[in-house]
Amino acid sequence: MTVHKIALIGAGRMGSLHAENAVANPRLSLVAISDHNEALASALAARLGTAAVPFEEILADAAIGAVLIASSTSSHLENSLASVAAGKAVFCEKPLSLDAEPLAAALPDLEAGGRPVFVAFNRRFDPHLRSLKARFAEGEVGKAESLHIINHDPATPDLAFVPRSGGLFKDFTIHDFDTAGWILGEPFVEVFAQGACLIDPAIAELGDIDTAKLILRGRSGALCMISNSRRTGYGYDQRVELFGAGGALRVDNVTITQVRRLGEEGESAAPFPYSFAERYADAYRAELDHFADVLDGLATPATGPRDSLRALRLADAAERSMKQGAPVALEDR
Amino acid sequence: MNVAVIGAGRIGKIHAANAATHPALTVKYVVDPIGAAADRLATEVGAIAATLDDVLSDRSVEGVIIASSTDTHLDFSVRAIEAGKAVFCEKPIDLGLEKAKSAAAHFEAPTARFFLGFNRRFDPHFARLKARLSSGEMGRLETLHIISHDPAPPPIDYVKVSGGLFRDMTIHDFDMARWLLGEEPVAVYAAAACLVDPAIGAAGDVDTAKTILRTESGKLCVISNSRRSGYGYDQRIEAYCAAGSLRVGNVAVSTLESWGEGGTQSEPLQNFFLDRYAEAYRAEMAHFADMLAGKQPLVGFADGIKALAIAVAAARSHASSACMAISN
Repeated sequence: MTVHKIALIGAGRMGSLHAENAVANPRLSLVAISDHNEALASALAARLGTAAVPFEEILADAAIGAVLIASSTSSHLENSLASVAAGKAVFCEKPLSLDAEPLAAALPDLEAGGRPVFVAFNRRFDPHLRSLKARFAEGEVGKAESLHIINHDPATPDLAFVPRSGGLFKDFTIHDFDTAGWILGEPFVEVFAQGACLIDPAIAELGDIDTAKLILRGRSGALCMISNSRRTGYGYDQRVELFGAGGALRVDNVTITQVRRLGEEGESAAPFPYSFAERYADAYRAELDHFADVLDGLATPATGPRDSLRALRLADAAERSMKQGAPVALEDR
Repeated sequence: MNVAVIGAGRIGKIHAANAATHPALTVKYVVDPIGAAADRLATEVGAIAATLDDVLSDRSVEGVIIASSTDTHLDFSVRAIEAGKAVFCEKPIDLGLEKAKSAAAHFEAPTARFFLGFNRRFDPHFARLKARLSSGEMGRLETLHIISHDPAPPPIDYVKVSGGLFRDMTIHDFDMARWLLGEEPVAVYAAAACLVDPAIGAAGDVDTAKTILRTESGKLCVISNSRRSGYGYDQRIEAYCAAGSLRVGNVAVSTLESWGEGGTQSEPLQNFFLDRYAEAYRAEMAHFADMLAGKQPLVGFADGIKALAIAVAAARSHASSACMAISN
């Protein structure tokens, strides 16, 4: 078994999560951590028994074959381009960019060296959703007619994050755009979005929304409904239902434990996980396994820059639809 | 109290049986243009087959239950109101919005007693949802999801006279949305397609739709419709509020489960609206009996008009691929 030396760029919340998984993965060896905030890099490196190293040195180190980019979203594309130019394989947290045009312009450079660029959309690695996708693809419920995706966050994000998030569609719905296209296996030709700020007026003051309902029309005519909320009040609500000609397939929420209580007032179950890190813990581990497969040459990246761009164009179209109050046609690409 | 049932078809039979078993009601007459159907149902519920004129001129008849074909609802309701009867009319009031509106004066007269049977409001599960939403325990309602998928498409001859998916099927959901949101929708967008049966498309209708409603205060509601689930009557509602969510799930034919090597298997969902809403139809009749005893109807003419107006706007939205304003 080849153990691949990798480096982490970005030692924040996502970086720590990926770093811990990388350390636990026998196929990967995390040899360096870089962050603009050197103290953050050093602290994480010390905790995981690895070294804090400036990004430039990582790029120059030929022994490091791959980088894991979990820096702030606005630096994803730039860091990915620099890594590819240095001959590294890239694992980049979603999204690769918040703007479609720079990403479209960067595609030739990202693809020029032939180094794999994997953009990590965690839902694709969730065992529940993978099973749904596989069973649909095997024809278990026939042709798809409708897909419903409920993606509601437990609590609103830090308000400081909102202005640099790219807005609800690019930051949050982007997952659902990717999941929807992946499950249905077809491109979308039209999107309609209604959005509102119903949870926290401070989000509207920052120019964003916190609640949205979208309808997408697939090339085959299949209809997809996406529901987003920044705050459920009851944990992470993550459900998918696929309605086909021969019945439906659905993925429900998971609960923290399986303990249920029966009492005079009825039956109660344990809460849903409160964070994406808990709900998608298996998916994050599977992402790294997939990346190890890519580094071993056993797989090509399940999602790359073009997938990121496709999701981003849907987010842009949704934004336009909401502003215009009308459906927006998409180029069938 | 004596009542008459107009229409001895599928829904007329349900209402007649429920009226006959209600302790305060006696079914005196059954009316249907098909004499044999009227005779058969009249015999079953201990009533007399008669004409509408007989019913309206009999002063001992206090209430009239209109379950005849949709195109007669408006006319029969007006005639029964004019004859001083309390009216329980099956939904919809009519398929034509302007035609229905033009009859408003009859329904708005101070003496008119008119109850429009939107059965879902009387389903015990949905009624409980409404009560708990109204209690405020979950805080302000933000968004509402309604899934309303039929087990199998209706006969194509019915599709042709149904008024189309939005006026025939989604109208129930529009009424539920108005009732649960507690606000009038001001905008509607509907994306629809014929994905289930090409014959429905050939008849000029759709069989699958997703509809988004928006209220003045910004509350959003999504409605999903399909004419064919393939797995029974899929009838769910989820209400997302500031402090959490309330939801009503599907009703299976029994609570039996089997657990085997291949996984667990529960019983199928109820497969027919008369089964799923049997309780609701009984509750409607109990409400009509209360009305005859002086109570105000919970659903009236204005509700029928408003749901119809949303349906018309949704059909236009689909036809023009645009978001439509709903005037109230």
